[in-house]
Amino acid sequence: MRKRKLSDILLNSITAISSSITIVLLASIFIFVFKEGLGALSLGMFTQPYWSENYYVSIPQSEGEYVLDTELDEDVYYSSKHGIALRDDLDPQHEAIIVIDYIHPDSSFNALTNKTSGPLEGTEIIINEGMIIRKISYLGTNGVVRSAGPVVKQDAKETVETLEKSDVLSEAFIQSQGGGILGSMIATLYLILISLIIALPIGIMTAIYLNEYAKFHKMAPFIRSSIELLTGVPSIIYGLMGVLVLFPITSAFGANGTSILLGGMTLAVILLPTIIRTTEESLKVVPQNFREASFSLGANQTQTIFKIVLPSALPGILTATILGIGRIIGESAALIYTMGTFINDDPNLLHGATSLAVQIWSIMNGEQPNFALASAISIIILAMVLIMNISVKTISRKLFKRW
Amino acid sequence: MEKAFSIKNLDLYYGENQALKNINLDIMRYEVTAFIGPSGCGKSTLLRCLNRMNDLIPNVKINGEIHFDEMEVVNNKIDVVDLRTRVGMVFQKPNPFPMSIYENIVYGLRCQGIKNKQTLDKVCEQSLKRAALWDEVKDRLKDSAYALSGGQQQRLCIARAIAMEPEVILMDEPTSALDPIATAKIEELIQDLKKDYTIIIVTHSMQQAARISDKTAFFLMGEVIEFDQTGQLFHIPKDKRTEDYITGRFG
Repeated sequence: MRKRKLSDILLNSITAISSSITIVLLASIFIFVFKEGLGALSLGMFTQPYWSENYYVSIPQSEGEYVLDTELDEDVYYSSKHGIALRDDLDPQHEAIIVIDYIHPDSSFNALTNKTSGPLEGTEIIINEGMIIRKISYLGTNGVVRSAGPVVKQDAKETVETLEKSDVLSEAFIQSQGGGILGSMIATLYLILISLIIALPIGIMTAIYLNEYAKFHKMAPFIRSSIELLTGVPSIIYGLMGVLVLFPITSAFGANGTSILLGGMTLAVILLPTIIRTTEESLKVVPQNFREASFSLGANQTQTIFKIVLPSALPGILTATILGIGRIIGESAALIYTMGTFINDDPNLLHGATSLAVQIWSIMNGEQPNFALASAISIIILAMVLIMNISVKTISRKLFKRW
Repeated sequence: MEKAFSIKNLDLYYGENQALKNINLDIMRYEVTAFIGPSGCGKSTLLRCLNRMNDLIPNVKINGEIHFDEMEVVNNKIDVVDLRTRVGMVFQKPNPFPMSIYENIVYGLRCQGIKNKQTLDKVCEQSLKRAALWDEVKDRLKDSAYALSGGQQQRLCIARAIAMEPEVILMDEPTSALDPIATAKIEELIQDLKKDYTIIIVTHSMQQAARISDKTAFFLMGEVIEFDQTGQLFHIPKDKRTEDYITGRFG
């Protein structure tokens, strides 16, 4: 009696402990990602490029006073002599920086010219709010050129005070903040479009053929098992296949090496088995008596499939599409081979780029892994996956309501 | 009296299993003919032969002849789509499409390529009137067919079949899923429809067959045991098996 009670307690506690371990593990992943990344998250990430640009510029003579016509936040310091407002901020490495908060529309900071020697010397440079001031040089009271800004350990308030005391600014070092994901978001969007445009029609039509026309064909079970098998193949193998088999096709379009086109085509192949399988399941669920009614009214098989069966299967197909999008967002191995790892701020179909997930890899693979930025992007990806899953659940519920 | 169908020496096999054995039957136009018999006796199977719906089932083999006008239905080379526009069907469980009432009715016409809105509207109204459903739905033709009750949905399916202007309407236990009031409405409808259509109805209810049919065929284990005027078959059955079934000695 006693022995059995002891083993019962042991088994029960093992299940409880395992669940606790699981919860702790999963929670720690989320907590880690959020702790690292939440600070680095900003709305600016969605619109900024990744690579920061350096600008060495000449500042034209200012035209007197620039009256402030908008509200500025607290801790933003405005120089009315030069029409520019600065604030303190921290970069992703938690170093102090000075950020341009506001540029007056008439300010001479709108008409900067490139001072870097070379072919672009003298051309116009546009700078925006959000860019960083590294140094501003001004004509001091005794005619000597002096510096203001972080380079002389000034903060925003001190810099603005210094600028107000001087009439003539000569030059500045300005830097655009990097760490943005705009390029990767556009690339991810291209990927989704290309892979769905290829995989959806081919997948849906294949499923229709397998489930409606060739349902009882001798080869059908074999084809279905093969497709089932393909859903489990690791994506890195598809990456290799993409490089070997699909690359000549993209070369014909003009791509030299990795490209978004190649990545999209490879992803299409990865998605195909899943789309075929989910569509087939949705077609199977369409009640047979719909088909019978259609035939009994004198419709042929094509009409029955495309007017009755397919429309009824659409919710399921939509679910497959959304799940596919979720997979594309998370895909990395196959894309590293076919799309490359260079973060491209201006993505082009025929050149390499990074999706969001691959950008994380790229950021972590450099000499200075930026945990904060990588975690911030992870949060964004998690949010997208969450939205996808909720959509799938909502659509499935709507599906069942109908019948 | 004109013949609708002339069935000769018909055998049907589901794989190895013979479901219909040497059926010989003549079905007349503008009458209601009922098929009765216990479950699994082949009455639905025979009904589905008449509009080639058994094509949808794999491993079915049919020998024999079914003559419908100039067509030989069992022959593989006929235009099955054309046959089905002339021989319509109503199923046991109402099966309207997930569309509006209007779209359900005109579905068959659209499949035939008829697009003219006036034509479709006219046929829709006529069919719904003929199926005794027009007054109940005329203000909500664009509503989903699923908003209707079971009995109304079945009348919708009848209207949908009528919209094709068939010569024959096959009914496979059309009221078994309905309540008694809905059943009565449809039986009344059938009596009205037989003026213009040949109706063949499979029914589990002997009382229903006795109420509405002109001729009745009694099936048992894939054979037609007896086929006669309904009054004769129910009151003076010629075969003992018929008598046993009618008096409820077996069901």
